[in-house]
Amino acid sequence: MDFIWHIIAITCMTIPHALAYNLVFGKGKILHFGPIGVSLVASYAVVIIAISTGSFIAATLVGLISVVLLSLFLAWLSLRLDQDAFGVMTIAVHLSILAVILNWNGLTRGALGIPGVPRFSFLSSVQSFAIAAAVVSLLFVIALRLIDRSSFGRQLQALAEHEWHAKSLGINRTKVHVIAFLVAGLGALATALLFPQYLAFLHPNDYQYPFLVFFITIIVAGNPGSVYGVLLSTILLTVLKEALRFLPLSSAVMGPVRLILFGIIMLAVVYWRRDTLFPKQRSI
Amino acid sequence: MRTRLPQNGFLFPFKIMKRLLAPLFALGILLSACTTPVDDGTGPIKLGYIGPLTGEAASYGKDTLNGALLAINEINEAGGVNGRMIELIAEDGRCTGTDAASAAQKLVNVDKVVAIIGGQCSGETLAAAPIAESAQVVMISPISSSPDVTAAGDFIFRDYPSDALKTKAMAGYFKKEGIEKVAAITENTDFAVAFRDALKENIGDALVFDEVVEPGTKDYRSLMARLKDMEFDAFFPNGQTPAAMAAMVQQLREQGLTQVAISHDVAQDASMFEIAPDAVEGLLAIGVPAVDRDSDFGTKFLAEHGEAQGALFFAAQAYDAARLFANAMTEVGTEGVAIRDYLYAVSDFEGVVGTFGFDDNGDVTGMSYVLWTASNGAFTQGEAVPVN
Amino acid sequence: MTQLIINGLIAGSLAALIAGGLALVYGVLGVFNMALGQMALIGGYCTWWLHQIVGLSLPLSIIGGLTIAAFVSWIAFEIFINPFYKRHRFLPLVTTIALSMILDGLILLFFEEKPRAIMPGVRHSIEVFGARISIEQIVLISFTIMLMMVLAYVLHSTAFGRKVRAVVQHDHAAMSLGIRAPLLHRFLFIMSGVLAGLGGIYLGIDQNLTPVFAFPITIKAYAAIIAGGKGNIWGAIVCAYLIAILEQLVVGVHWFGSFYVPAGYQQTVALLFIILFLLFKPAGMFSTKTRSA
Repeated sequence: MDFIWHIIAITCMTIPHALAYNLVFGKGKILHFGPIGVSLVASYAVVIIAISTGSFIAATLVGLISVVLLSLFLAWLSLRLDQDAFGVMTIAVHLSILAVILNWNGLTRGALGIPGVPRFSFLSSVQSFAIAAAVVSLLFVIALRLIDRSSFGRQLQALAEHEWHAKSLGINRTKVHVIAFLVAGLGALATALLFPQYLAFLHPNDYQYPFLVFFITIIVAGNPGSVYGVLLSTILLTVLKEALRFLPLSSAVMGPVRLILFGIIMLAVVYWRRDTLFPKQRSI
Repeated sequence: MRTRLPQNGFLFPFKIMKRLLAPLFALGILLSACTTPVDDGTGPIKLGYIGPLTGEAASYGKDTLNGALLAINEINEAGGVNGRMIELIAEDGRCTGTDAASAAQKLVNVDKVVAIIGGQCSGETLAAAPIAESAQVVMISPISSSPDVTAAGDFIFRDYPSDALKTKAMAGYFKKEGIEKVAAITENTDFAVAFRDALKENIGDALVFDEVVEPGTKDYRSLMARLKDMEFDAFFPNGQTPAAMAAMVQQLREQGLTQVAISHDVAQDASMFEIAPDAVEGLLAIGVPAVDRDSDFGTKFLAEHGEAQGALFFAAQAYDAARLFANAMTEVGTEGVAIRDYLYAVSDFEGVVGTFGFDDNGDVTGMSYVLWTASNGAFTQGEAVPVN
Repeated sequence: MTQLIINGLIAGSLAALIAGGLALVYGVLGVFNMALGQMALIGGYCTWWLHQIVGLSLPLSIIGGLTIAAFVSWIAFEIFINPFYKRHRFLPLVTTIALSMILDGLILLFFEEKPRAIMPGVRHSIEVFGARISIEQIVLISFTIMLMMVLAYVLHSTAFGRKVRAVVQHDHAAMSLGIRAPLLHRFLFIMSGVLAGLGGIYLGIDQNLTPVFAFPITIKAYAAIIAGGKGNIWGAIVCAYLIAILEQLVVGVHWFGSFYVPAGYQQTVALLFIILFLLFKPAGMFSTKTRSA
């Protein structure tokens, strides 16, 4: 049933990035609103190099370098700014990257997008993409679970809960932030290697604000910081989004209903978790 | 002291159970999708539609959907195709590749549609094309304008005239009227940018002012300030939406600039008059003939679906696409390859937007253009603008 | 050049209204209201509906639109902010994202995708110092300035204003002095909703309203606030004007006599403003040092 394979494919392609983002936003409680910006850079770097050189090795390499650079930049910003400012800053970074991509026509074809994205030679049918993506997701789940349980995970959590106390215990905030952002960047790269190929088309419209909101919804709905929780919520919310197509509502109403429904889901989830979502600091 | 419950660990199964309700329901729906049969020659014919029913481009979605529905209702009332009714299944492409691909997957694999009217945004068409192509399902896009659609596939057609033709007509008009310097402001979207590129190819240096703004910008004042110091004969508001174009023309006139303003068919939209009636007065537009509120098509559409959200022209395109499919299915049946071959052989289909055919790439040939003038709250049709 | 400054004043007044309200809310509640753009649109759309569809006169429609905006803000506060903001400052951030989605859906349902203008028709332009500006725009700019002056008076010269400033500076201390902080929180939030609605009305009069305009408005307002210093309402207003003028200058000026910045980067100015500010002066332009810990 090709449609089900398709759903599996797109879900599994979102999982690596969602899980990696979960590390920064969910576990580290760092207000990072720029994951789509990182995806943009990764996707465009990979696709442009793949088309111009024909080599996926080169494309992956260039993608890796750009992702690493951007992640380091974001990590530096996160160390330098306080929480709220960092959140706004990352939105600014995302929008700036979008503006550059839209306007630098010579490099990115701007608003026309890049059609005819080449695929790996061993991936052609929906099924093969689904299986490949599932394998990659599995690797990421295992990797992130290990990170979660490791001393790094504990350090990240300590920093999230009590920053100063953690630092006074000798936890190196710089190192932890850098590693966290690098992992998030790798997640974005994994998704960027598969998704544009699958669509065979790369266009900035797929990286706009609504996708950021969807990402945040995924993390908040699945217990932030928990690998299995976010895994589950990614699967459920992606399936829900597609399943809504089957509801027999008139098309004029369908779109707004979807928006409202997801908004209510987000509200309900946050309300339900309001005591545990962000750790409460004692004041006075 | 209350201990905090562990995040992972033994409470895991309880958390799962609480969350199973919604997804079980969703999975149930999805699994039921596996049982839809292929078209077997009886029962209603399923036609698919992909368009932006929500999101920024939602006005295109609504209009094209209504245009297609108008045609399908007419056909069904006249007896359907060989006695079978047509059923339109509409999916939301949201003007993104991701959603259009999902929509195409559903239409092709779950609903097993015979053909697809879509996508509307070029991004939708380009993302849905590989899926339709590999399933040998014909797609006609009513309004995708990107040059990339030409090569999108063997089964991919569009009844939207390519920018190459339209800009040639525009360039010819400029020459005829002695317009030697054109100032253009373009919204940075695939449609408007492709149009500008094609125009530039045709008029070259005559384009003395060529600025591309972020889509959705409505404040053009500083650009207008620059224009005041420039010499130009005509202004070309090259927007994606009437909101932007109306704002452009309004701010142009506010600055006291009186050059003629001329645009493309997206400007032939009733909202232009609602937003800036005085400024829009005198606006010229190059578009296809006989698609205004008073034409046959216009009156029919108005009666059934009310005012168009955007330009009536878009609905007419979808209407023609639906009619084309109906004609094809009446003649050759519902086999994808047969429909494709029929379409390639079409050379003078009498659509609402003109008499046209398809070339070897699935692009439209033979459309003609006229000059529309905005006067007293409506666009009136004028002389023909030849493409040579 | 004068024209560019005037353009900046027009656009800046719009942004200043919205940013000013946001600064109050942000300073007091520490709350990011991501649904701000939608609230502005609601004010604008309701005024449009009252004026164009129901047929009320313009002043009445404006009052009606603002009342509806206030009402919606109040409900938004009770449902989306109140249960959350005491627990942690970031919870409302996520819930207001949810709010923005719901409002977007409602706006689409009620008002569809067509662009709407509250006052269609060409403006009556006059020439001032070699630049053109219309009567409506002059009214709007002067109204904004007047509003700012009223705000200044209220904040600095009345007892009520002093209470507001006390709450902005230190919530708990103000409460311990008997000031009813929760009530003031509600009031400030509704005020920010009304100011945003006013901005939306302004937009509907000067340009036109489309449902997708919400997010860019929100970002501009945040740029102004971050640059102006957290909770500093005057800083936010000044920065809103500054950003607007900068945007006009960037695109309009013939830099070094040799090139023009491509117009596509106009919005990026606001973003760069945030970025540069946050890099070199993370606390904002007009921040005051407060003791922490």
